[in-house]
Amino acid sequence: MSLEPRDAPGTGGLTADVGQERSGSDVARDVAFERDALPWLDDVYRFALSLTREESDADDVVQETFLRAYRSWHTFIPGTDCRRWLFTICRNVFLRSRERQRPTVDLEDGEQDAVAAGSVYAAAREKGYDDLFATLDLAPALRDALDELAEPFRSAVILVDVEDLSYESAAEVMGVPIGTVRSRLFRGRRLLQEKLVTVAEDLGFQTSVQGMP
Amino acid sequence: MSAPARSQLQDLGLSATCAEVLHHLWDYLDEQITPSGAERLRAHIASCPTCRGYESYQECFLQAVSKLRQELGAPESLRERLAERLKGQGCSCWDKVKR
Repeated sequence: MSLEPRDAPGTGGLTADVGQERSGSDVARDVAFERDALPWLDDVYRFALSLTREESDADDVVQETFLRAYRSWHTFIPGTDCRRWLFTICRNVFLRSRERQRPTVDLEDGEQDAVAAGSVYAAAREKGYDDLFATLDLAPALRDALDELAEPFRSAVILVDVEDLSYESAAEVMGVPIGTVRSRLFRGRRLLQEKLVTVAEDLGFQTSVQGMP
Repeated sequence: MSAPARSQLQDLGLSATCAEVLHHLWDYLDEQITPSGAERLRAHIASCPTCRGYESYQECFLQAVSKLRQELGAPESLRERLAERLKGQGCSCWDKVKR
């Protein structure tokens, strides 16, 4: 299975149509681009930010992603998942900007992380934190914890848990097997939960829920 | 199941079926396991307060992560720059990038 969209978007460079009379196909392309691609700008930005960590870098990656998507629109297959296609271009743009220094990790055992997450829960329960996630507004602490989460675990969490992609779609975007997405996702979730429990402890969750930001 | 994992389960005082939940709850919540496996976990969770508590804890965590989607979007400055660049490419819908 190809891990990249047909014709590897982001690699081509079609001539812009500036100054030329617009044909019917140009108009149809623009209509389709507006309808299928532009609604995903926020989603692509979040994914780009998860990759770059820097807002200014994310801006550059997003602009390049949409420009390449527009130029390569003829390679998008109508009816397929445009968001996934854009995520794939985004990742390609990011990797090229990093000279393809693709982060690598060993294939981890996802179940070890699942079991470890259970241990985190057991410890939290002993301390009275077991309703931590239900009680508190976790958004500020979660954002911080996600920022600190290492690649490629962060991408897996962003794509599956924030952007709600299937394992299969995330695997295509990340260019890895589904099992690798699972192991990275589980590691990311476990690390996030450990961090959140630590934050709760630091802020004295047990005795003062209101003390949490 | 690996020996370290089995040891962790024993430390947690969990039964074999609780162990299945511990190993596969994320697969279950992500709808990545077989229907029969899901049914077995569902039945056990319904009858086990410990696993019910753990399921609730993990569901709340995943919901909290999912909510981040509503909180972060492309800044207006990015939208304006992208609109200008698309305009330069001859894209007629460039102004739709802005809110």
